[in-house]
Amino acid sequence: MTRLEQAPGRFRDVARAKLADAHVQRAITSVERLRSHRLEAWAELPGVEELRQRAHDVRMAAVGDIDGHLARFTEALEARGGHVKVCATAAEACAYVTGVCERRGAKLVAKSKSMVTEEIGLNAALEAAGIEPVETDLGEYILQLAGDHPVHIIAPAIEKTKEDVAALFSKVEGHPVPAELEELTASARRQLRRVFLEADVGITGANFAVAETGTIVTVTNEGNGRLVASAPKVHIAITGIERLVPALTDLAPLLELLGRSGTGQRLTSYTHLVTGPRREGEEDGPEELHVVFVENGRRNLLGTKYEEMLACIRCGACLNVCPVFRKTAGAAYGPVYSGPMGAVLVPLLVGIGNAPALPHASSLCGACTEACPVKIPLHDLLLELRRDLVEQHAASWRERAALTLWSLAWSRPLGYRASTFAARLGQGLAVRVGPGRAWASGRALPRLARRRFRSWR
Amino acid sequence: MGAQRVQLFATCLADLVFPEAAADAEVLLRQAGFEVEIPRGQVCCGQPAFNSGHRRAARRVARTFARSFSRSAPVVLPSGSCATMVVRYLPELLGIEPYDAWELSAFLDARGAAVPRLNEGRTVAYHDSCHMLRELRVHHQPRRLLERSGADVLMLPRPDLCCGFGGTFSVRQPELSVAMADDKLAGADAVGAEALVTADPGCLMHLSGRAARTTGLPVVHLASALARGIGPHA
Repeated sequence: MTRLEQAPGRFRDVARAKLADAHVQRAITSVERLRSHRLEAWAELPGVEELRQRAHDVRMAAVGDIDGHLARFTEALEARGGHVKVCATAAEACAYVTGVCERRGAKLVAKSKSMVTEEIGLNAALEAAGIEPVETDLGEYILQLAGDHPVHIIAPAIEKTKEDVAALFSKVEGHPVPAELEELTASARRQLRRVFLEADVGITGANFAVAETGTIVTVTNEGNGRLVASAPKVHIAITGIERLVPALTDLAPLLELLGRSGTGQRLTSYTHLVTGPRREGEEDGPEELHVVFVENGRRNLLGTKYEEMLACIRCGACLNVCPVFRKTAGAAYGPVYSGPMGAVLVPLLVGIGNAPALPHASSLCGACTEACPVKIPLHDLLLELRRDLVEQHAASWRERAALTLWSLAWSRPLGYRASTFAARLGQGLAVRVGPGRAWASGRALPRLARRRFRSWR
Repeated sequence: MGAQRVQLFATCLADLVFPEAAADAEVLLRQAGFEVEIPRGQVCCGQPAFNSGHRRAARRVARTFARSFSRSAPVVLPSGSCATMVVRYLPELLGIEPYDAWELSAFLDARGAAVPRLNEGRTVAYHDSCHMLRELRVHHQPRRLLERSGADVLMLPRPDLCCGFGGTFSVRQPELSVAMADDKLAGADAVGAEALVTADPGCLMHLSGRAARTTGLPVVHLASALARGIGPHA
């Protein structure tokens, strides 16, 4: 059971609470910095449009033959002594990972940042088995201490200020930690060092998996990802089945765009390529390497009009430009994926009826599509999802009845005139019901002109 | 040789709520030397239903457009989002050949229309509507026309940011929608604009409705700003 499904009213309820929270509204403005850094980094590239197109094509070629790539990846990694497991559901993936940990008698697991592990609810599964998972990405660690979920796929704790973090760290350390960036980082380092050294298993995500060589690629900034992947005796990398790319050379356009689009970095501090566990004669690396590919609904998209969503490289650019994300601060979209990519992906993974508010969590302004490095037409996909909501009868009967009646009236000029005549008579009531009331809660309701333009003539 | 003919699509929102904006668009087109035809039977492009995913309802209404307009002259609309609907979505929705349809400022600018200097010494900010900016790629044209009318056109902070109207978004998520309008209005205040000008009746209805409850900033349709000046009557 994933935690992605959500009730129809949830988005608006959470958004309303976040809008009223001045602290969150102030903190979230830092996405503005990520956005401007992306624009500067894109401007540096000689031909960003061609590069975006190339990245799109590479991703779509990969998505077009997932099973072939999975087979090649498996063969290549097994030849190097690694293990590959493809899991259809979140529960299956959690059970496999927990099983590996239990077999090794693991008590402590060090994790680096992975949205797929959030998606499948891995931490809860490990805890239920008596295994302690500790997040080592700074943002994720802060959230784990706070008991919160990530609100942004690459800046998970973006709504926390340094004062918030100081309060959390002071509690762990048992003495006051000043709200200074160096002090906070030093404190996190003290707290996490034990975890790196003592963890029995390290769990990472993977930004890409290269089919031809059986290589997994992680792109990180804090160095924790490397420690997690190399210090413990067992390394488990978890990723979605769609993150495969055919060959090492395909990484080039993707890596050129990923850092630039997410944070504005030409490359992130670490780009870590792992091909197999430690071999005879090598001094570093885990004894055991497992790569877990999670489906969890992704196959629903294959061969459909939504297939392009599988090209997503999780850079966060669409979140940083989205005017709705900026106001909701992320949490409204649900506990895992947020912003435009979340609003498209989540309904596709769990079924549109299980997340019916998300396709409407957008003004369809198109800023996301413009910012997407792999050219996913995000706002068009949101529009398609709205269409499916209606065609699969997941939209409310009231909405369907209202729009059907409206369209019947407005299908003829006479009906149009008659309906506007009736509306003029009824407009005093409009502030009391449905959409009129929603409009009038913050805005003056438009008055229908006494004479229409067309009747002037 | 007679004047070139254009067909004016008033759009439902301008027809019903901002008739003066449609009338101003007609004036501007006539002043630019065009013969303006206002096809009878025009209603709405179907966008409210289309953007909510109700394609059958949208098709029913959009057919009124195809029945009313001919292909013998360009179609001009005082609305960026309705122009987008006609240009980008109608052909696929109705299975028809595309129309030669233009947003008003893009049309006037392309035809080198002269604009009366009614805004000498006035400062305005121009709000880009999203469809017009990203789908039609029209952003210089309205600013150029405002400048030719004598106005000093100020740059809004983040002019690309949506004002929060978004069709039914405005009533599905009213709190978010209004918060986005507040940012836009605050931006116009911050740069010291006397009025906020937009070429989209949807944004106009939303922003002016919010301004009426808050800052009182005049929000004016581009056609009115050009045909009659930004105020005080605006």
